Amino acid sequence: MSSNNKKWFSLNLTNKSNKSESRGCGKEFDSCSNNKHKDGYDQIMDVPMDRRSAFKKITTGLLMGAGAVSTSCSVVSGDDSKEKSSIEWEEYFKGNYKLMTDEERNNTVDRLVRSYELRKGEKLNISSKDAEDDVLFGYAFNISKCQGYMDCITACVEENNQDRSSQMQYIRIHEMDDGKGFNFEESNDNYYHEVPAEGHFYMGTQCFHCENPPCVEVCPVQATWKEKDGIVVIDYDWCIGCRYCMAACPYDGRRFNWKTPEVPEEEVNKNQHYLGNRLRKKGVMEKCTFCIQRSRIGKNPACAEACPTGSRTFGNLLDPNSNIRWILENKKVFRLKEDLGTEPKFWYYMD
Amino acid sequence: MCLHENNKLDMITKYIKSIVLIVILVFASCKNKEHQYHNLIEKIEAKSANYSGTNISSEVYNETVKKIKISEGNKEFYITERKSQITSYNCSECHNQPIKLLKDKHVGKKAHWDIVLNHANEETMNCNTCHAKDNMNELRSITNKTIDLNLSHKLCSQCHQKEGKDWVGGAHGKQIGGWAPPRLSQTCTGCHNPHSPSFEKRWPAQFNIQKVKERQ
Repeated sequence: MSSNNKKWFSLNLTNKSNKSESRGCGKEFDSCSNNKHKDGYDQIMDVPMDRRSAFKKITTGLLMGAGAVSTSCSVVSGDDSKEKSSIEWEEYFKGNYKLMTDEERNNTVDRLVRSYELRKGEKLNISSKDAEDDVLFGYAFNISKCQGYMDCITACVEENNQDRSSQMQYIRIHEMDDGKGFNFEESNDNYYHEVPAEGHFYMGTQCFHCENPPCVEVCPVQATWKEKDGIVVIDYDWCIGCRYCMAACPYDGRRFNWKTPEVPEEEVNKNQHYLGNRLRKKGVMEKCTFCIQRSRIGKNPACAEACPTGSRTFGNLLDPNSNIRWILENKKVFRLKEDLGTEPKFWYYMD
Repeated sequence: MCLHENNKLDMITKYIKSIVLIVILVFASCKNKEHQYHNLIEKIEAKSANYSGTNISSEVYNETVKKIKISEGNKEFYITERKSQITSYNCSECHNQPIKLLKDKHVGKKAHWDIVLNHANEETMNCNTCHAKDNMNELRSITNKTIDLNLSHKLCSQCHQKEGKDWVGGAHGKQIGGWAPPRLSQTCTGCHNPHSPSFEKRWPAQFNIQKVKERQ
């Protein structure tokens, strides 16, 4: 094994390859290491360098670190920048939101509000409201009523502070051919003509907030989880941006910030929730949260509120008198990709 | 001889151990614990068995809306009030003469002179289908019973039975306020103009240019 440059264990069932490699390397150990493919760590650390440049690089690194620390402790810098750097320090070292106590949650929310105030001068209203008991959110979509207006998308983007320049949209409205059923491969989700167009019907997809979410299972750091009221949320400060959840989601529910999201100041929605529509940073995932900042205080999500045809229904699945329960009990409902066992909480029905 | 018997004993004990292990695994994997359900529907039914309401209420969002409470079937909910929103109610203030006189050139173009009926066809619908000649402040059902203008859904659901039932249940129409009870629904006329009820064609609200760029 030592002469091989593979990093994994392998059964040597064939003797041939082993011998030829060792013959190729020969007696000199150095020629072996020349053939080795360097991984990321080695590419940075294993660079041949003379002592002077190594010394220069180490000192610059140390100075930068010292500078970062000194801004918060210095006597000379102003109070504002001291506060900003102490907030940044605390935010860097805080833990996963799931494990925080209520006090820690309040503290982080206060820090975020204060940090925004220092940077932009505007007051935010970030909530950390927990899930209510006896509430399980569900959503129903009437495909007979959807006319493809995309008012839901406009409302969602305004409500959830999504990046404007990359035109991030959580919701997709698909225009499908009549008579072919739900054929996503031949559907068009970016049309711009008078709607409803002849010979087509419309339906929408977004994060379905599955009861058995594959994205939650694959997250390597547990930055995404399902809350007690059924909403699948992301802790934007814990996400490392590996996008494994994006690969795992069968419904294309998740979006990634390839660049720092920017929202014009006057369009920022100031009513935010820590797990919902607060301003995110570059390199983290985001997705539909059933407008957690609205639904946890009894309002409908922005998409359901905006739909002019009333094709979107939102409600509490555990309330036997709710609209969503009546729909599930009396209309012909179905879900997408039922065979995957993800148990989405988003049903489709028709008149 | 001894070896052969020992082997047999070994094999038997091995089999017994594996069977016991399998049995234990089967029972351990059964999700009999609390909070473990086979599927979502089971979970909903189990958890809503003792439902007694939540602390969340939409009342604060419904406060500014003029509403009345109705009860249809076994459902009780609020709907938006209509009469106070009609600018020219009472209708009888003008409609105390036959329409032919009102349409007289000397009277001029009053109030809603430009109403066009674009609802079903001539054989099914004319003004008298819904409005009562003798009392324009009310609506009239097919069986000549009075229907209050606030309860226009009773009139519409005479022909649109299915939509009416769906509306009462919550599958049709718009919910105003929020998802939490008390429920406030929009009425039929809140979305549909009764004289021309279908929705017009229009252009979508969005076009994603970035998607077009990325897909090229």
